Amino acid sequence: MASFKDTLKDAVRQLSFKTSLDSLKKKGVQQVSVLGLDRIISLIEAAVHRSLKSRLVGIEREAVADATKAEFLRLLRSNEDLQRQKSEVEEARERAEDEIDTLRRELTQNNQALQLKLEQDALALATRYEGENAEIAKKVAAVVAGLAQTPGATATTVEQRLMELVMDVVSGERQSAEEARRALHDREVDNLQRRIKKLNDNLAATEQRLQQVAALKDVEGGISSVYREVQGLATGDAQVGKKKELMGEIFKANLKLQKKDKPGA
Amino acid sequence: MSDSKQGDGPKKDHGVLYIGMDLGTSRTSVSASNGVRETVYSMVGYPKDVVSQKLLKKDVLFGKEALEKRLSLKLYKPLEKGVLKYSGDGSMDAEAKANLKAAQDLIGEAIRLAKPRKDELVYCVIGAPAEASVKNREAIIEAARAHVDSVMLCSEPFSVAYGLDWLEDVLVIDIGAGTTDLCRMHGTMPEEADQVMFDIAGDAVDAELSRRIEQTCPGAQFTIHMVKDIKERWGFVGEASERCMVDLPVDGKPTPFDLTEQIRSACSILVEPIVKGIHKLVASFDPEFQTRLKNRVLLAGGGSMVKGLDSAVEKAMKERLGSGKVIRIEEPIYGGANGALKIAHDMPADFWEQLR
Ligand SMILES: Nc1ncnc2c1ncn2[C@@H]1O[C@H](COP(=O)(O)OP(=O)(O)OP(=O)(O)O)[C@@H](O)[C@H]1O
Ligand SMILES: [Mg+2]
Repeated sequence: MASFKDTLKDAVRQLSFKTSLDSLKKKGVQQVSVLGLDRIISLIEAAVHRSLKSRLVGIEREAVADATKAEFLRLLRSNEDLQRQKSEVEEARERAEDEIDTLRRELTQNNQALQLKLEQDALALATRYEGENAEIAKKVAAVVAGLAQTPGATATTVEQRLMELVMDVVSGERQSAEEARRALHDREVDNLQRRIKKLNDNLAATEQRLQQVAALKDVEGGISSVYREVQGLATGDAQVGKKKELMGEIFKANLKLQKKDKPGA
Repeated sequence: MSDSKQGDGPKKDHGVLYIGMDLGTSRTSVSASNGVRETVYSMVGYPKDVVSQKLLKKDVLFGKEALEKRLSLKLYKPLEKGVLKYSGDGSMDAEAKANLKAAQDLIGEAIRLAKPRKDELVYCVIGAPAEASVKNREAIIEAARAHVDSVMLCSEPFSVAYGLDWLEDVLVIDIGAGTTDLCRMHGTMPEEADQVMFDIAGDAVDAELSRRIEQTCPGAQFTIHMVKDIKERWGFVGEASERCMVDLPVDGKPTPFDLTEQIRSACSILVEPIVKGIHKLVASFDPEFQTRLKNRVLLAGGGSMVKGLDSAVEKAMKERLGSGKVIRIEEPIYGGANGALKIAHDMPADFWEQLR
């Protein structure tokens, strides 16, 4: 019996929670007494399965967030391309605005999807802790199996006592798991919310950049001249003399015309 | 570009953009050294009231757009009859002021259409109708100044001829919307005696065609804009190369009409006054160079796109003046703008500087 107690003590110490027998009884000693090994194992299996499922939900959520991010980056890149196409800036801007609209819609959809996942998660939460107890339950099961072969210990008494202790562990685990779970949940939600905020910020930044691009159209959106310098008559021109004379005449006429009205002249 | 003279005046960071502009009654065209070529109908519209303004989301509309939305606009054709409508005698009424503003907005729009960069030096030559008054010219200059670094005016027929490198002894015939302008170029700027102008031009053809359709196609419904489109699609003189079959609504139902004869007669009103004008300008020219002048007749302006017009004028010249060679310029719509661009390019840097 010493080794059994020791093992349990170890298990209890590991799990670090204690509850009075009274409170345990209140919680369900009646049901516990009918739980057989098989039942425990099947419970464990179900819990593991559920826990796995719950974890999958998490992965999916990651995938959703990643996909959102990837999609957003894609849009961001296409917006950057857009900046390069200044000549088509108007058209491109409209396209980008459409994309932003789409992005915004997608973001909303993702938000909704996320909300749904979180709700599903809350449901899964109710059973999740059982999965987290799987480790301990497995250990206990091994101990029970070992004890069953020990002479002098009737299976029923051992089982009954074991179950009392298991329930002690379970309820303690339940509390800590719930706390941990809540913390984890908060962190995940936090992360997702942070990610969404980031997406929103990026969206705002992109919109701002687009506005700048649109403004650029007026500031420097023109098309460059082929000339870097003031030209003048080509010296090789066949009629350069005659043309010079004509240019002079046009200039003189304009000087006469413009001097008068020129402010400060 | 290596053979070009270098400017030594103050420069902006980047390049030098030259703009050639042809300021016309019906359209204003620009041709620029960045490869841009644009044309806009010389129409400016302002929303009639606050409601229209909200609806149009603009303070001013130009060209085709202004024409299309004309019902909610106060519409101006600020260059009607080839000259800025601006009395310039100091006693401008509200309407004249509004017209001047429309002209200035139009010039601004034409320059915007050339897509200048803010960091480039912009030099612009505007081909103005030869007969524009000094006050009109000042108004044009003032309007352009707001948008460019330096601007010069020159006479439109000169810029057309210069564009083809025909500097001397050229007779330029510019058939516009409001006016047909004949101008004899002999190397210097044209003077009064070098010019003949009359108002039998594109608009007159439209009016004539519309009158003839009215007379010969009972029940046909049309507007002057439709008639103009028909003329631009089919317009010809002389031999008809095809029948001009045009659908016009009768009682709301599109009905085909053969307008071949109507179109021919309407377009033919251009020929006689042109030949008369040529005669006058040739007869008063230095006898030694008359033959040369007769062989260097340039047809320009949108109206020159009437098919067969060059041959018809040439034929009449041969009959009445013994000889004649008429050439239609390649791009009638951009002839003036292209020539003005070339002048801008050839203008020495210090001339531009002095006018800044
Ligand atoms: N394909 C065409 N055939 C015949 N006429 C045409 C054609 N295309 C344009 N036109 C006519 O040319 C006229 C306009 O010519 P253009 O653009 O040279 O005039 P503008 O320079 O604005 O006028 P203006 O010289 O009187 O100031 C209009 O009457 C138009 O209907
Ligand atoms: Mg013209």
